[in-house]
Amino acid sequence: MRGDRDSNLGPSGHRQTTACTRPALRHQSAPKIHFCLKIKAQEIHVGDVVWLHENDEIPCDLVLIGTSDPQGICYVETAALDGETDLKTRIIPPISANLSVEQLGKVKGVVECPNPDNDIRRFDANMRLFLPIIDNEKCPLTINNTLLQSCYLRYTEWACGVAVYTGNETKSGMSRGAAEPKLTAADAIIDKLTIAIFMFQIVVVLVLGYFGNAWKYTEGLKQWYLMYPVEGEAPWYDFSIIPLRFELLCSIMIPISIKVTLDLAKGVYAKFIDWDEQMFDWETNTPAHSANTAISEDLGQVEYILSDKTGTLTENKMILKRCCISDTSYGNDNGDQLNDVRLVNAISSNDPDVIKFLLVMALCNTVVPIKSNDDTVSYKAQSQDEEALVNAAANLNMMLISKDSSTAEICFNGSKFRYELLDILEFTSDRKRMSVVVKEGQTGKILLLSKGADEALLPRACPGQQIQRYLEAAEMYSQLGLRTLCLGWRDLKESEYKEWSKNFQEASCSLDNREFKIAEVCHSLERDLHILGVTAIEDRLQDGVPETIKLLRNAGINVWMLTGDKQNTAIQIGLLCNLITSGPGFESRSPRIAQAGVRLATDTLPQTPHRAGALCTGGKTEEDILRSLERALLIMKNTSETKDLAFVLDGWALEIILKHSKESFTRLAMLSKTGICCRMTPLQKAQLVAILKSAGYLTLAIGDGGNDVRMIQEANIGVGISGREGLQAARAADYSIGKFKFLKRLILIHGRYSYNRTAFISQYSFYKSLLICFIQIMFAFLSGLSGTSLFNSISLMAYNVFYTSLPVMTIIFDKDISETTVMQYPQILLHSQAGRLLNPATFCGWFGRSLYHALVVFFITISAYSDEKSEMQELSMVALSGCIWLQAFVVTMDTNSFTYPQILLIWGNFVAFYMINLILSAIPSLQLYTIMFRLCSQPSYWISMALTVAVGMGPVVAFRYFKNLYQPSAINILKQIEQSNGSIQTSGNLESARAKLTNLLTGSRKIRDSNYHPLLSDSAESAR
Amino acid sequence: MVPSNGDTAGPSSSQDDPAATMKKRNRPQYHPFTQQQLPACKPILAPQTVVEVVYQYETSCIPGYMLDNEVAYIQNPSIDKTCTRILKVPKDMKHPIYIYYQLDKFYQNHRRYVKSRNDKQLINPKEANNTQYCKPEATEHGSPVVPCGLVAWSLFNDTYSFARGNKELRVHKRGISWRSEREHIFGKQVFPRNFQKGALIGGGTLDPGIPLSEQEDLIVWMRTAALPTFRKLYGRIQVDLRAGELITVTMQNNYNTYSFGGKKALVLSTAGVLGGKNSFLGRGYVIVGLACLLLALLLTMLCLVFPLKEEHLALQYPLPRPAR
Repeated sequence: MRGDRDSNLGPSGHRQTTACTRPALRHQSAPKIHFCLKIKAQEIHVGDVVWLHENDEIPCDLVLIGTSDPQGICYVETAALDGETDLKTRIIPPISANLSVEQLGKVKGVVECPNPDNDIRRFDANMRLFLPIIDNEKCPLTINNTLLQSCYLRYTEWACGVAVYTGNETKSGMSRGAAEPKLTAADAIIDKLTIAIFMFQIVVVLVLGYFGNAWKYTEGLKQWYLMYPVEGEAPWYDFSIIPLRFELLCSIMIPISIKVTLDLAKGVYAKFIDWDEQMFDWETNTPAHSANTAISEDLGQVEYILSDKTGTLTENKMILKRCCISDTSYGNDNGDQLNDVRLVNAISSNDPDVIKFLLVMALCNTVVPIKSNDDTVSYKAQSQDEEALVNAAANLNMMLISKDSSTAEICFNGSKFRYELLDILEFTSDRKRMSVVVKEGQTGKILLLSKGADEALLPRACPGQQIQRYLEAAEMYSQLGLRTLCLGWRDLKESEYKEWSKNFQEASCSLDNREFKIAEVCHSLERDLHILGVTAIEDRLQDGVPETIKLLRNAGINVWMLTGDKQNTAIQIGLLCNLITSGPGFESRSPRIAQAGVRLATDTLPQTPHRAGALCTGGKTEEDILRSLERALLIMKNTSETKDLAFVLDGWALEIILKHSKESFTRLAMLSKTGICCRMTPLQKAQLVAILKSAGYLTLAIGDGGNDVRMIQEANIGVGISGREGLQAARAADYSIGKFKFLKRLILIHGRYSYNRTAFISQYSFYKSLLICFIQIMFAFLSGLSGTSLFNSISLMAYNVFYTSLPVMTIIFDKDISETTVMQYPQILLHSQAGRLLNPATFCGWFGRSLYHALVVFFITISAYSDEKSEMQELSMVALSGCIWLQAFVVTMDTNSFTYPQILLIWGNFVAFYMINLILSAIPSLQLYTIMFRLCSQPSYWISMALTVAVGMGPVVAFRYFKNLYQPSAINILKQIEQSNGSIQTSGNLESARAKLTNLLTGSRKIRDSNYHPLLSDSAESAR
Repeated sequence: MVPSNGDTAGPSSSQDDPAATMKKRNRPQYHPFTQQQLPACKPILAPQTVVEVVYQYETSCIPGYMLDNEVAYIQNPSIDKTCTRILKVPKDMKHPIYIYYQLDKFYQNHRRYVKSRNDKQLINPKEANNTQYCKPEATEHGSPVVPCGLVAWSLFNDTYSFARGNKELRVHKRGISWRSEREHIFGKQVFPRNFQKGALIGGGTLDPGIPLSEQEDLIVWMRTAALPTFRKLYGRIQVDLRAGELITVTMQNNYNTYSFGGKKALVLSTAGVLGGKNSFLGRGYVIVGLACLLLALLLTMLCLVFPLKEEHLALQYPLPRPAR
């Protein structure tokens, strides 16, 4: 980004960039171009002419001015930008259409374009070329005339364009956003606790400092052997010396080692993820990888999963599964391809309907056939559905061989047919259909071939035709989760076409409201269709997706699906993968009622109260949308939690909602467990994440394409699927996995364990530093509040970094309940989700424990080592040993499963403590000299240690026992189940156990909700 | 449980006479193992008793007319501070009988105090000038004080002597400090210099002719106590005392504890395995034992009165689930 370009801003807010003659070429160009210069992408300046070759990545945003194609088109793959894998055609603006290759290098002109923004669907600019180009009028530019950064040039030998945005100002650069460093919820709590401890420390220091000074003036001055300076001789800062000494003494209260220990532990969690064999994807040979080593415990606290659909939930491989032609339904449950014998027979017997059907499949699309060297044809298409249809047609002998902008060639049963492509009535989401007008090469007949969503096409059937059969078929197919398309056909009269064609040209050229006008015109042509049949395409779900989603939902995680796809498809996929659980008769209705928005909710739900439903927010006008939102909110409030309702939303509606009533949408988002958001732009996906985040929820975004990058970066945790759409998402994400199904393991196993372990490690770190600090504070009262340290500096240092840090590290191997149990009872995740193991309450427990242990250690030490034994170094060592003994037992008590590293480290550390101190006791220059030898030979030392452990741990053990027996937590129950079951399958009372468990856990959930979201609980109550 | 050595020493050394060697070739070789003469402990399973006599003398050793003005009394060097008292031995005391002095409210653990010493100076004669940390008791008229610092300066200087009847009981003052300290902390070549020569006299004085390693009172004193009430070893009496015997104690009450109202006491005590008389550990164990017993009873009661709840039983003894 160059600063001087801002000064180029015109008064209109538009920026002027001049295409200069300095050409820039990314790669060695064809020999005929002699002014080439190969430069690095970062050296491209605005206004440079950039030459690109096939399969090049586009280095910056360009306005296309020339391609190798005589028609002036080129193909780009925009997967990295919007996640759509299909090819997009880009076209040269008419003004530069006739430039020769030579001229391209020398062309001069002005491109007027808006300030950089992140809208990848809009580019409202214009271009004017200077002489010697004769046509020097302003020519409007659209997004179709651009090559955007990070896309790839495909199937075009070369293309050339003028750089308009470079660096971080490109569309993809602007929508990338800066990735902020992520802080886990657990870290946030730890930070809060640290602040609390710091406050406590300040209070302690001030209080002790005050009393220290008081003691000094009342008692200390009488202690002649202390030789306090006489009044008046003392320096002015005298009063602050004692508080500062206490500050030094209490500085260990905040464990510095916690950062090191936690970071080390987090590193190991990340490694465990990397090493996990069960998350290795054999098909693509990708292991799971955690790029961010710091946020594993957040995985265990995830509350919302926002998932991309295509490529994440589905495999992104479309296959034509079934079709219904005239009155016959072909295809059955088994068999991936459409190889029904009846269909093959129908084709060979030249059934006219079937052939027309295949013809529409083959022709009515924007597919580009690519002929490879060995004469096989492969297809590249804008939409996967079209590709699937063309492929299926090819398999059924209706092969699209070649196609350019004006003609298409079809090979049917060995004979070739030529079709002249007259017009393409493009697909828009409003029309939900597309058509082509073709002229049969031999007969000269003009045909209109249409395909589209059933609700868009069937009403346009010619009046006489029976469409009931197709309705039923479409309904049946969508119940199976297939994407349905209707195919239609109409013969056009020459005159009718000519008249229409004129209107169409006019509409296409209109400058304002072009899209609407074109739609109007198309509408006028697409009528009285002869419906040929219905196709059903399957976008296969990835392996294990429904099970995973079910498990995650059981674990109390709300799963939202955000997709750029159409609403109906999204709902169907949602049904298929357990996102929306529903009774029969519901799904078929949903697509139709989706338009009508809330009506769905009102007439479906009362009749089927036990079923879940989907609330669709949609509508034509802003008011409609807002009204339906309020309606949806009301319904959500009035239904209890068990009837989990979903809402369906599209991008347009979201835009309006965010503009007008963000609050009520946030409330809706918090109430509904499932959301399906379709037609989302990358930015909107990120906005949704941001809304949930701002409501205080922990979000996980999962996606596979470049269009998910923004959302992945925005979410608390980003998970990328290293899939078909490249590695963009996986690179931006915190974790990358091979398949969606691994998410359950990532969350339930790795996340949960990480959370548990971090909860223990962090609180334990506070515990141990508080323990030693409390002892120091108590000792202060026996040492004249002078700030004497009971422990010597070596002991203090070793205590923090060695004696107590090592044993606690063993907790990284700890598993409270086994993996299988977690998978069986995913509800247990609620426990960690609600932050049950690390919150102020549990911390108070640890605080109390450290206070109690400090009292025990201190009083046993000073009582057992009183009188003639009260020697400073000995006493300090006894107290330190007491702490070490207690902490070894504390770690042991809180370890749930013992593995050999744990036993080794806990007790090895214990032995090491004695070894180290014995060695230190052998060095005469240390204060510790001979102390440990002396202590170890004293029976009273060992007896005191035993007493310390008994008094320190006894109440803890007893408390645990009572709690476990009379008020067990969910984890306790599961442990018991695990113990008694062993490997035996679940019990007969499983349901009751599960119910109890769920009760326990939802209780916690509610408490948490009311704690954290007063808004929510208020509104929920007021609605009741 | 004092290890006792074997009763006899080894056999006499062999002679060089070859004939004699020949004769003694068959003699079994000496080894404590083969001769059943390994050092042994002889534990006696009988309760050990520790007898302790504590005599607090800080007020009783002040003449009545000075009671109102204790500090002036103690700070006046011209008054004779000898004080003779008779103690009665309550029970039989086996030797060694340890003599301690006990101070109270004396903060040897005070930060100003603990730090005020220099260990390098104590061990190394060449470091005599090193009086770092020793302030305000570091130098005297420009030349260093050895041993420097408040700890040494405030050396306890009450003395005790004992007599049984007319016969003096000898107080053994050797070996009251730790051997490690005599050998490695306090130098054999380091002699006191300028000690207690300042305007303010702290505590006891030291004989400049005796090296620090032999000034055992100083060594004991400089092992600072961790608690404000502490005992320090003064000496040992190596004879047994019978119950009811009267011991005459002659004390020199020199040390000033009156400024801060601290107590002074003379303690005669025997020692057991666990050291001196300290009932804390014993009581602690009894209490913990009782607590465990009570808890056990409580749990038994709870189990009888409130048996485990049904759902817990259900969880613990699941029925096999019929196949789906």
